[in-house]
Parts: sequence; C-alpha cells; structure tokens
Amino acid sequence: MGQEPAISLQKVSVRLGGVSILEEVDATVERGSLTALIGPNGAGKTTLLMALLGLVPYTGTIRFGTGKRSNGHPRIGYVPQHLDLDRGAPITVLDLMVMSMQRRPLWFFWQAELKKKAEENLGRVQSAHLIKKPIGKLSGGEFQRVLLALALQQEPDILLLDEPVSGVDMAGELLFCDLLEEIQRQARFTLVMVSHDLSIVTRHADHVICLNRKVQCQGTAPEVLTPDNIQAIYGVHAGIYDHHDPQSHHTPAGDPGRSNDARR
Amino acid sequence: MMPGVEKVYGLLAVLLPWEAMQAGFMQRAFLALLLLAPMCAAMGILVVNFRMAFFSDAISHSAFTGVALGVLFQVDPRLTLIGFGLLVGLAITRMKHHSELSMDTIIGVFFATAIALGIAIISAQKGLTRNLQSFLYGDILTISDSDILWAALLFLVVMGFAAFSYNRLLFVGLSEPMAHAYGVRVKAYEYLFAAVLSLVVLFGIRAVGILLVTALLVVPAAAARNVARNAGGVFWWTLGFALFSSVAGLFTSVRWDSATGATVILFAAACFFLTALYGSFARR
Repeated sequence: MGQEPAISLQKVSVRLGGVSILEEVDATVERGSLTALIGPNGAGKTTLLMALLGLVPYTGTIRFGTGKRSNGHPRIGYVPQHLDLDRGAPITVLDLMVMSMQRRPLWFFWQAELKKKAEENLGRVQSAHLIKKPIGKLSGGEFQRVLLALALQQEPDILLLDEPVSGVDMAGELLFCDLLEEIQRQARFTLVMVSHDLSIVTRHADHVICLNRKVQCQGTAPEVLTPDNIQAIYGVHAGIYDHHDPQSHHTPAGDPGRSNDARR
Repeated sequence: MMPGVEKVYGLLAVLLPWEAMQAGFMQRAFLALLLLAPMCAAMGILVVNFRMAFFSDAISHSAFTGVALGVLFQVDPRLTLIGFGLLVGLAITRMKHHSELSMDTIIGVFFATAIALGIAIISAQKGLTRNLQSFLYGDILTISDSDILWAALLFLVVMGFAAFSYNRLLFVGLSEPMAHAYGVRVKAYEYLFAAVLSLVVLFGIRAVGILLVTALLVVPAAAARNVARNAGGVFWWTLGFALFSSVAGLFTSVRWDSATGATVILFAAACFFLTALYGSFARR
C-alpha cells in the first residue's frame, strides 16, 4: 500500500439538463478506507458515484490510484441502490453470478470453475444457499448480499455502494454491514458508501464526506456528525443512535434523509 | 442455379415424405421458418427482458413506409424496407441516449411519424395498396430461393450475435450502470441489439406480416418464462416453442387454407396459454 490515494477529486462539477447537481467537489478517498457519502436527498450523492463510474459527464478532475488491471487502472465494483427488477425473469442467482464472467452464452454449457467461484463468493456473504433461487424471489437483504457477492467476484480495488441497506430490515442491515467490514478487512479494497443511516456511518466509516451539491464538511465520523452539523445538513435536530449499542443514550436519528422524505 | 439449396430441398423431401412436403413452395417455406424460428427465439428472450415489444412494433410498422418509399422511388421495396427499418431502430436508440423522455414516448413519436409518412405516400400513389397486402399479412408460401439464401446469411449473423452477447445483454437488462461498471460496453451493445433486432423483425415480416411479427418474437419467449427455471433453460424452451409453432402452423395453414403467419402465431399463443395454466398449477 502506497501513499497514493485511491480516488482524488478536484473541482468536480456535474450539470444535467441545465441543472447544477454537483459544484466543485474536492475530496480525497484514502486507499483501503471506508468512506461514507452522506447528505439529504437530491444532494448529488448518487450522481457523484455515477461520475466515478464515468456514466455522467463532468468537469474537473477525477484521478484514481493504480489498481489490479494490467493497464494499472483500478477495478471498480458497484452495488446499485435499487434495481427495477423484472420479478418474473427466469434468472437464478447462479445465472447472475456467471453472466458477468462468462462470454459463452448461458444456454451453451457452463465453465465449471466459474460456478465454483460463484459458490465461493456467495459463501463469503453467507448466501451460498441462495444459489438456485430466482433473483426475483429474493428478499431485499438477500438481494443486496448477492449483489455484494457479485461485486466481490470482480476482485475490485474500489467498491461503490449506493445505499446498500435501504429497504432492508434492521437485522439484515446489521448482518450486511458486519459482513462488509469483515470482507473489507480481508480483501483490503477501498469502499465508498452512500448512506442515510448515520448510526452505520458512525460505526463503520473511517472518513465521512457530507455533500449537498458542494462538500459541506468532511472528516472522521465524530468530527462531521455533530448535532449542529446534522441540523445544518438535514434540517432536523438529532443525535446518533447506535443499533449495536443498547447503552446509547442519544435521541434516535432514525434516518434523517428518509424522515425528510416522509414529510414531503 | 443454387445447387446448395437444391440439395437441402431434396433432403427435406426425403426426410419428410408427406405429399405436402414434395411441393417446392412448401420446402422453401419450411426452410425459411426453420431459419426464422431460432432467430426469433434468441432475440425474443431479450425483447421480453428489455421490455421492448413496442420497439419491435415500431420497426415492423416502419416497414410499411419503407415499402411505400421503395415504390415511390422505384427501388426494390425489400431494400428500402430494410434501410428505413434500420434507420428507425437506430434513431430510436440514439434518441433514448440523448433525451430525458421515456422510451415508450420516444418510440410512440417515431412509430406515429413513420406510419403517417407511409399513409401519406400510399394515399398519394394509386394502386400501391395491393403491393402492401403481402407485407401486412406475410406471405411465406411465395418466398424465393434468394430470400432463403439471405435468411441463411442473416441466421449466421443473428445467432453469432446472440451467442456472443446473450450474457452481456441480460446483464444490461438488469442494470445499465452495473453492467457498465463490470466492463460491458453498454451503448455499443444497445446499438448492435437494435440493429440486429430490426433485421430480424424485417425478415419476420416476410413470414408473418407487419401485424404479427412482434408476436413471433414475444409469444414463444413469454411461454418459455412460464416453464423455464433459469436463463439457459429459457432459451431452449423458447426455441422449442418457436420451432413447434412454426412447423405446426405451416402444415395446419396449408390444410385449412388459412394465412400461415396467423396460424403460426395461434400455435405459439396456445403454447403460452397452456404453459400459463401449467405454471399456475405448479406454483400452488
């Protein structure tokens, strides 16, 4: 591991359809860190991930540190927030895991080693038992774990997660985050996670970037997630309640981003 | 003139020793459907996955205008049909990438424009309506040897494309940003898919006509969904239903003297409803 950051952004701006979504974002994501992107709805968090993936045009500079690919570029894994799934599609978890790796069509023999690899990666997220299940029949938590296994299968240098636990119950959320932390510790990739859940951010993130079109503040979780900052960012007064810690005495923040939604 | 094709016909006459199969037009029709069914199966699954039945309809209806343009400019209508159909398919795909309108709105606009242009030309040209009859309902029984050779060439292109890109296109159908992140060149695949699908639709018109070509793509794939358990199985089921409906439809239409295209689709629809019934019992 060198000193070179995994990602550095300089004056990154995005305008879509004449509307400014991101303005001059300057940020650095350290290699091997877990960086959380927080901010209210419409703050440009997902757009920033899209810019990192090269899916939206931007001005400014995004520089990536060297990665595992032969040309030195990093491999980027991505777990989307929500898939508009065709629930009736006859695609099993194994199909999903193999289709991204195998060129030969799924209707014409399988490469045995890819099936084994899929099984291993599903095992890493405690989902090996789901391998034959159609993806349309998975619960929200199961599907997020399968998408995580899919991303891990690419052996990413950088993993981008867009609200990985939205729509997942609390038990599933805790399982997902603990798994993620454990896997990241082993595989040592850089993780960038958009999250509304500030208790997860507090517990897991090394670095927090608070976004509302511009970078509002960044630093460690205790530095950023002060009641005053949360008030300024989300417009609600709240502290952080740690789901893991029953002794936590703060007022439950619940989910400031979502509570904003609910009021609209 | 075309000894390769003649040998295939001879083989068909021996393998299927029924009286109906001894006629040249039946051998050609049989061969054309045998080539068309796998192409429709491979592309139909993806049409259903991408929810692109309306796109397919727009291409097939643009053929109407393609033919009219051919007659107007005194060019072989089969060429203008393909040219115009491809143009519409690629234009819709391009607009999808450069507009914030939803896909069905974009298709609706192109669909309407193409049809309006076609009707305007046809209404101004007397005697054109008769030419269009065979395109509306399809006319597989009058297919020529050269059509068969073109179909064989198209078969190689389509099946090659399907084998090469099936997994990637399934992935794009699940999530474009995710597919992009995994190194799939999403835009290139979408344009290629639109172009190849347009060609299949335009050839399918020859068999079942403008009105029913989308059904030839969608119905066998939809029936397969009722029974298939995975992404590989759905291809073989679709292929099976497409081949069965094509062959059964051809023979039945000759016996009943009904339109071949419509009879083929009726068999495919029967496959769909029977498998849907089976599916509803199996889920209980």
